[in-house]
Amino acid sequence: MKKAFLSTGLLLITILILPLFISPFLVYLSTEILVFAIFAMSLGLIMGFGGMPSLGHCALFGLGAYTVAILSEYTANIYLLLGAAILISLCFSIVTGYIAIRNKGVFFLMITLAFTQVLFLITSRMKFWGGNDGYSASVTANFGFGEITSNMGLFYMMGFFFVLSYFLLKLFVNAPAGKVLKGMMENEGRMIALGYNPKTYKMIAYLIAGSMAGLAGGLYIYKTQFVSPALFSVHMGAEVMIMVFIGGLGTVFGPALGAGAFVFLQNYISTMTDRWPLILGLLFIAIVLLKRGGILHLIQFVTTFGLKLFKPSRSRNAPVDKQVKGKEQAS
Amino acid sequence: MTLLKIEDLNKSFKALHILKDVNIEIKKGERHVIIGPNGAGKTTLFNCIYGTLPLSSGKVYLAGDRIDHIPSFKRTEKGMGRTFQKNNLFEELTVEENVRLAIMGKKKYRLNMIKPMQNYTDLAAECRRLLEEWEMIDRRAVLVKELSYGEQRLLEIILSLSTNPEIILLDEPTSGMSPTETSRFVKLIKKIPESITLVIIEHDMEVVFSLANKITVLHHGTAMMTASPEEIRGNQMIQEIYFGGGALSHD
Amino acid sequence: MEFFIANTVSGLAYAMLLFLMAAGLSIIFGLMKIMNLAHGSFFILAGYVAYTFSRSGMNFWLSMVLAVIVISIFALIIEKLFISRVHGSETDQVLLTVGLVFVLGDLALWIWGGNFLSIPVPAIFDFSLDFAGMTFPAYRLFVIAMGILFAFVLWYFEAKTRVGMIVRAGVDDMEMVSALGFNVKIIFSGVFIFGAALAAFGGVLSGPILGMYPMMEWEILVNSMIVVIIGGLGSWKGAFIASMIVGFVDIFGRIYMPTFAMAFIFILMVAILMVKPTGLFGRVES
Repeated sequence: MKKAFLSTGLLLITILILPLFISPFLVYLSTEILVFAIFAMSLGLIMGFGGMPSLGHCALFGLGAYTVAILSEYTANIYLLLGAAILISLCFSIVTGYIAIRNKGVFFLMITLAFTQVLFLITSRMKFWGGNDGYSASVTANFGFGEITSNMGLFYMMGFFFVLSYFLLKLFVNAPAGKVLKGMMENEGRMIALGYNPKTYKMIAYLIAGSMAGLAGGLYIYKTQFVSPALFSVHMGAEVMIMVFIGGLGTVFGPALGAGAFVFLQNYISTMTDRWPLILGLLFIAIVLLKRGGILHLIQFVTTFGLKLFKPSRSRNAPVDKQVKGKEQAS
Repeated sequence: MTLLKIEDLNKSFKALHILKDVNIEIKKGERHVIIGPNGAGKTTLFNCIYGTLPLSSGKVYLAGDRIDHIPSFKRTEKGMGRTFQKNNLFEELTVEENVRLAIMGKKKYRLNMIKPMQNYTDLAAECRRLLEEWEMIDRRAVLVKELSYGEQRLLEIILSLSTNPEIILLDEPTSGMSPTETSRFVKLIKKIPESITLVIIEHDMEVVFSLANKITVLHHGTAMMTASPEEIRGNQMIQEIYFGGGALSHD
Repeated sequence: MEFFIANTVSGLAYAMLLFLMAAGLSIIFGLMKIMNLAHGSFFILAGYVAYTFSRSGMNFWLSMVLAVIVISIFALIIEKLFISRVHGSETDQVLLTVGLVFVLGDLALWIWGGNFLSIPVPAIFDFSLDFAGMTFPAYRLFVIAMGILFAFVLWYFEAKTRVGMIVRAGVDDMEMVSALGFNVKIIFSGVFIFGAALAAFGGVLSGPILGMYPMMEWEILVNSMIVVIIGGLGSWKGAFIASMIVGFVDIFGRIYMPTFAMAFIFILMVAILMVKPTGLFGRVES
């Protein structure tokens, strides 16, 4: 608990002072990064802690975005709009999760992907909501203390939700339910033998991730003012997946870092070449073949290595000799 | 009192009839060892009792309740524990975390999503007690994958004990151990209180006869006989077909 | 009625193309436990390659044979270079094959551009059959015949040949097959290439009907995945029946309710999964 508060506090301060040090364009870009960070962290939860690879996680993001865009015709109340975005995504998660979680691994992936493809085709053929051309909405955030119109204001708004999501996820993964989930990913058979029902914990994680992705989608509209079926495309699903990987699978914060790196890179590279998908694909392949962890793993490695240099190590597997003896006996 | 009752259990994979009309009754407090040559269907029998595999036909009762149709995790809730033939642990977690996860399976707060797991003092205390009892307390902070093989086998048993079972299915607890480790391990198994019934699959005859007070011989998928160790020792037929006559000579 | 029958022919032709895709996807997964998301890329690349051959003056059949050979060799390289390194890790498989789809898709865009391309219908089938007052494009009937022929070939291969027997045993228990002394590496490569060749064949066949366009690989992949989900992983029989269902629902859905065509398939898929989570012919996992 203390750790979660500490890291959240640090993150909060970073977000607060960051705009002082970076250019207005980067503030603008960071707004997008923060939204995708929430989205990527939610996928990071089910992939890195639940072992559920999903190429269709963008469905929940897209649903959140479409919900806010469509409902903004009727109300401007941001609490209602974001609430609705979360609720719709949650409902969709309940239905899809109920069906997909009965199956493991590849089947899970295929089913979630199929669901997403359906949303893609429906939205692209729905002339009423713009079809393939997408749908413009004009939404302004107002939490009851003035309209947020500046880039800076939006940055802080996204920053707030990002820190909140981070904090909640951090609590979850350290709490019993989160630990059970992780144990399930490592060794499901044993968890069952210990009396845990795997579906319950996977479903909980899936619902949390779904609502969070819905929230991210809802927030996304406040930045872009525009939705299109591309939100449901496999490309979108694959992009958020790569964010999780380059950031660090199996960590809470890693995917957020990955989102940062990804959005930054994408903006940078797209100005230079049209071959972004090619580069992205090569990045995927490289990550698999090099068998390296993400950015956060690298940072963790460097810091623990650095600490070891300065501190005489109080190793946690102190009785080394005993251990070696045990191994000799076994062989 | 009969605790576990297996009635006319059949299991087949396609054309292979692995278990044929198996009937076994296991009384409370028994140390019931199941022996039989490789391929006799011992592990399949465990998987059927525990629900890892569905039965082809037959019934399984635990303390009078039929359990053959309920999912495995519910059998654990009903007081059945098991260990696995190959070590089946959380290798990336520490010993302590393994045991905590195991103990938590019975706790209501296992679904809590906010309070950190390490803040539950009762969990920590129970875990400590268990690790002290089984002389693993020094190793509590070691990652499981760094434990010796024997220690991992012991942890298997500790994990299954932490769910407060009435009965534990031990699948070859001493497999892969050196003779010294085995004899030490047998002493540890003997420490398990009488209130917990043990069903054990075992190959090592020395282990079998030092633990068992009842033995079932499984041969080609049928429970050939269930009897006391003395009777099994004295039975000529069993001697010949299973022990090949001389297997007990070093005894 | 005429309308119905004419569309039945379209639906069946589409179903056969899906079947050729899904059968490979399903067998590769069943045997190798590899989820090859790049399978759709083989399908569309074969179309593009055949297009190039036929543009250079070759006839349809020669372009088809060459395209299938090119894609098979390509698949062998992919298998040796990449797929063989990700056995056992589903996440790695997904990541790797998604990466391949991106790379191949973008390369295709680079080489062949983003316009809709199609292969001309081969001359001998460039006519229509008149029957009972209705006209049927001969090429579609040919595609249907090819699909049925391949279903039969697959059945024969699986049920009657030694290789088929090994493959069948391997789907159940690969360790056993390897313990019996068969070379698993060769079996894997063979199955992977065979699956890719099936997809390539389907891709060329579909050239005159569906054509080739960017992102098509995803569309055909997802549809054949739905086929596999409905039919059950590792079962080509399931793939055959499910592709008929999906083909029909897709074609008729497009005509009667264009917006929700996919939704029908999807509701069907959900309904089947509720009753049998492993699909119609999927084996129950032990």
